[in-house]
Amino acid sequence: MFLQSRRRAVAVAASALALTLGLTACGDDSEPGEELSANRTGAMENYKVGDQFKATEPVSFSTLLLNNANYPAKADWLFWEELKKRTNVTLDQVAVPGSDYEQKRSVLISAGDAPLIIPKTYHPSENAFVSSGAILPVSDYIDLMPNFKDKIAKWNLGPEIDTLRQSDGKYYLLPGLHEKAWQDYSLVIRTDILQELGLQEPKTWDDVYTMLKAMKTKYPALYPMTDRYSQPRPTGNLYNILGSSYGAPGGWGFNHATWDASAGKYFYTAASDKWKEWVTFLNKLVAEKLLDPESFTQTDDQARSKIATDKSFVITGNAQALVNDYRADLAKNPKAQLKKVVLPIGPAGEVNPASRLENGVMISTKAKDNKNFVAMMQFVDWLFYSDAGQEFAKMGVEGTTYTKDASGKYQIVDSINVVGLHPKATKHLQKDYGFYNGVFAYGGKPELVQAFFSPEEQEYQKVLNARPQAPWVVPPPAPFTDEEREQATLWETGLRDFVEQQTLRFILGQRPLTEWDKYLTELKGKNMDQYMELQQKAYERYKKEHG
Amino acid sequence: MSTPKTLDPPPASLAEPPLRPPVRKVRKRHRSWRQAIRKDWQLYSLALLPLLFFLVFRYLPMMGNVIAFRRFRPGGSIFGETWVGLRYVKLFINDPTFWDVFTNTLILGGLTLLVCFPLPIVLALLLNEVRTRYLKRFVQSVSYLPHFLSIVIVAGMLMQILSVDGVVNQITNALGGEPTAFLQKPEWFRTIYVSSEAWQTVGWGTILYLAALTTIDQDLYEAARIDGANRWRQTWHVTLPGIRPTMMTLLILNIGTFMAVGFEKILLIYNPLTYETADVISTYVYRIGIVSGNLSYAAAIGLFEAIIGLTLVLSANYISRRTVGTSLW
Amino acid sequence: MVALDAIRRPNRRKRGIRPSRGRRAFVVVNALILTGVVVVTLYPFLNIVARSMSDQSYIIAGEVNLLPKGFNLSAYDHVMSDAMFWRNYRNTVFYTAVATAVSLVLTTTYAYVLSKKHLKGRTFLITIAVFTMFFNGGLIPNYILVTSLGLKNSVWAIALPNAISVFNLLVMKAFFESLPTDLEEAAAVDGLNTYGILFRIVLPLSKAIVATMVLFYAVSFWNSWFSAFLYMDKQELFPVTVYLRNLIAGSTGAEMAGAIAETDEAQVDATIKSVTIVLTTLPILTVYPFIQRYFVSGIMLGAVKG
Repeated sequence: MFLQSRRRAVAVAASALALTLGLTACGDDSEPGEELSANRTGAMENYKVGDQFKATEPVSFSTLLLNNANYPAKADWLFWEELKKRTNVTLDQVAVPGSDYEQKRSVLISAGDAPLIIPKTYHPSENAFVSSGAILPVSDYIDLMPNFKDKIAKWNLGPEIDTLRQSDGKYYLLPGLHEKAWQDYSLVIRTDILQELGLQEPKTWDDVYTMLKAMKTKYPALYPMTDRYSQPRPTGNLYNILGSSYGAPGGWGFNHATWDASAGKYFYTAASDKWKEWVTFLNKLVAEKLLDPESFTQTDDQARSKIATDKSFVITGNAQALVNDYRADLAKNPKAQLKKVVLPIGPAGEVNPASRLENGVMISTKAKDNKNFVAMMQFVDWLFYSDAGQEFAKMGVEGTTYTKDASGKYQIVDSINVVGLHPKATKHLQKDYGFYNGVFAYGGKPELVQAFFSPEEQEYQKVLNARPQAPWVVPPPAPFTDEEREQATLWETGLRDFVEQQTLRFILGQRPLTEWDKYLTELKGKNMDQYMELQQKAYERYKKEHG
Repeated sequence: MSTPKTLDPPPASLAEPPLRPPVRKVRKRHRSWRQAIRKDWQLYSLALLPLLFFLVFRYLPMMGNVIAFRRFRPGGSIFGETWVGLRYVKLFINDPTFWDVFTNTLILGGLTLLVCFPLPIVLALLLNEVRTRYLKRFVQSVSYLPHFLSIVIVAGMLMQILSVDGVVNQITNALGGEPTAFLQKPEWFRTIYVSSEAWQTVGWGTILYLAALTTIDQDLYEAARIDGANRWRQTWHVTLPGIRPTMMTLLILNIGTFMAVGFEKILLIYNPLTYETADVISTYVYRIGIVSGNLSYAAAIGLFEAIIGLTLVLSANYISRRTVGTSLW
Repeated sequence: MVALDAIRRPNRRKRGIRPSRGRRAFVVVNALILTGVVVVTLYPFLNIVARSMSDQSYIIAGEVNLLPKGFNLSAYDHVMSDAMFWRNYRNTVFYTAVATAVSLVLTTTYAYVLSKKHLKGRTFLITIAVFTMFFNGGLIPNYILVTSLGLKNSVWAIALPNAISVFNLLVMKAFFESLPTDLEEAAAVDGLNTYGILFRIVLPLSKAIVATMVLFYAVSFWNSWFSAFLYMDKQELFPVTVYLRNLIAGSTGAEMAGAIAETDEAQVDATIKSVTIVLTTLPILTVYPFIQRYFVSGIMLGAVKG
């Protein structure tokens, strides 16, 4: 006991020294010398990049498992069996229906009953749990995760990771990493109508306007464009992709404060001229009856119905919606052809507004007391971040479920179906084998991410991957403290509600655009200025404290 | 018992057993606990298990409400970290949006109560008049079908019917009117909400009343008929008083809970354009919660609503006792 | 003419042979109203049944009304061929049965006690119940309680925390209070104790209300998904409502649709949604006709008058 406490005292002193040294070099996260000897049971001695992780003795970790209705978890999945074989790890699963995953996760963590590994977490959901210390500041332990560190270095993800940092300089989420930003949502257009009217695919949003005008001239009784994704907020997708093209994303991509690199400060997104510009654009579309006014409030089924019955020809969607929804709905119409066109360009230029990070894993603080803690971190590193682990999680077992040719191209064996590649096959990669499960398989190199993409989708990705990343996607960190966050989130709700309401009123013409300045004043009344002040203060404070 | 006062109720007076000692009523007030337990120990014993239930599963967790006055951190102590007093109470009192949604809650709840309370009674009475048993059962079984439809389905149907090319607009078109996007207009929301609530609850609500109707002494109808009352007057003087205890109990309970408007339904059919009439306390707190996970704030508001509800029940109970003699207590 | 005379001279009136004009008009109006009720409540349900047996594309096109179009039972097949669906269905039946039984026992006994106006401490007992209608502890304390009692992953996590609905309790109490006291007093004189009175006299008289409570509780537990969702960690323990909710709502809760999209094959189409409604609703619908025969008058005046 005495020896241990002495060693601990030395370790603490050493790490304190190292910390003070480490503070001057921002970006160096790990705490060298942290005493983890009590937690090394089962861990590999020299685990490094490219190694197959295998625990030195059978270990088991509890994990939260989002149960997707399309491929519910089965005990006999090859995934579990093979995982145990390769890593000596059994996952003790807590099954949660995907329909209410967020809520249960929240309850479990708040009640102190969360499993050790908590995947499927989207930033900023982890913010709520930071101040209580319920989840681990993983940035302190990435020394245990060589593959994670390697990918961040190789793919220059440092600035992206910084966006996850909290006010103490640490981050609490292990995000999914993409080498290339994966942008998926765009406009889906009836190309047979384009042909009929002798039109080209639109490249810019102004082209889109011209196209819609032409469609309207030919079919004056219809709204050429309709939209969906309006629950719970109006046209989350359209506001996002359109707003991104103008430099002020709304909807799904909305952040109250957007970073203006040239000015070196944050501005309130919904009060900017860029916002006004795309709102004006949509207002024009609605006023000239090119865009269905119901788009902003209808259900997805209603929108799909309009496309299926030729009431509209243009809608937004991603690759999956294109194949599973629109094409399937129009299957009875042999003339109908649909294509997801390349994301139209706006005043912000040719940019890719997608982020290279995606949902990831939280680790419960309780894990640190577990004797297998180091092994667990190594395991997480291998499964989620190593090339071999990612390939395994998505593709399965080489020879059994897939083959890889000399150029590295993946081919799923013929007897197995996934995403409609082999429709006649009796077995399904996700349902029967447990691979390509959204909980474990995501992120990675483009070859892996796009392995199942159809040729047309790969074309789309080629164009988007070539575009530079939009400058506002990776802003400098400006995290709130716990106190600030409490106040900020209350303001945020009020502001967001107001913005959504007025934006829609402007678009639908219920409020004339001439009242824009009045709207700005009203925003001030909703604490916009105080909010921005808080945000700016957070940015400056972080810069001062952490470089 | 709620025997009608206008008719002479032969059965009740006949039923008075001659052996009943008149002294009992006087002694009631002065009984001590000892005597009470000795006399009614069997009754008390029956109440033990339920009391245990209330204690363990209701009152024990109630202590968690203390987070309304303490700072709660998700993942930290469930009783919060430090005392912050009335901070959260002040937060919502000073929030103008809170009072807007509070008003909406009152209005929507009140309208729902006004419309949806009498309808099951009316339907039950109408059903009672149906002579053919099979027809009566058929209508009743069908009328409660909407109760079983999940809110998601109901919301989807509503949005379908009320869409610009939905059934309602088709009818107005046929009658020469202009199509209206009902779901985008705040002035229509209340009508839509209350009507859909009525549709969903009227059939189910009749069950209780029909059960109550069976307890009415059929001889009273006979007596009324002999006295010359037609069906209307029978209904007024026999049926309604017969189901009065049920009615009043339900009324008191509904008044107490009238602020608990249908959270999920509103969430599915409202949108920013209709916030001004559609946004209620529960949906507002829900939106705040998504961003912040601030359970303390929600708990403070919950306590506020609870106090209001309790006050309403007590008042309704008092008024009911004074006017018609039925009460919860 | 004859009818009006009948009212003026009551003693000579024959029973129910010639209804008055007013009465006939009422019957017609009543019939119209009730028909309207039937149409308005039955149509949506029939529409869903039709959808459940239709081809997906007709549903999207909005062409399905009362009759299926592109009739096929593939959606039924899809749902019913999943072993987990049946496992969960059995769970639902089991949970509902146990929970309803527990609730009925607790509610009936407490309601009976509360209906005794002479009981000392009655006001207190009622207040205890009513108070809980408004004040509750919130999600987390309840979760911790159930977990600490070791009830997680068992039927008791569903049956116990919501055993007594105060609403039902008070309605039942009102019923008990409305029963004539004479019968009970006569029984007391005959030597029955409280338990005996409750079981042999009061309950048989209260068939209608007991049946109603069985129905209310059974339906409520049948349709509930939240308790099971919260307290069960294994798929095998879910009731069918959780299974179906997952199927319908999928992972569409979060606003982040992008990343989920890659691994989700959206097979949950409109048909499946309708199938789930039909499959979960049908059984409980058939319960009511059985309950209905208990809705008979419980008062046996013969016993009283004698």
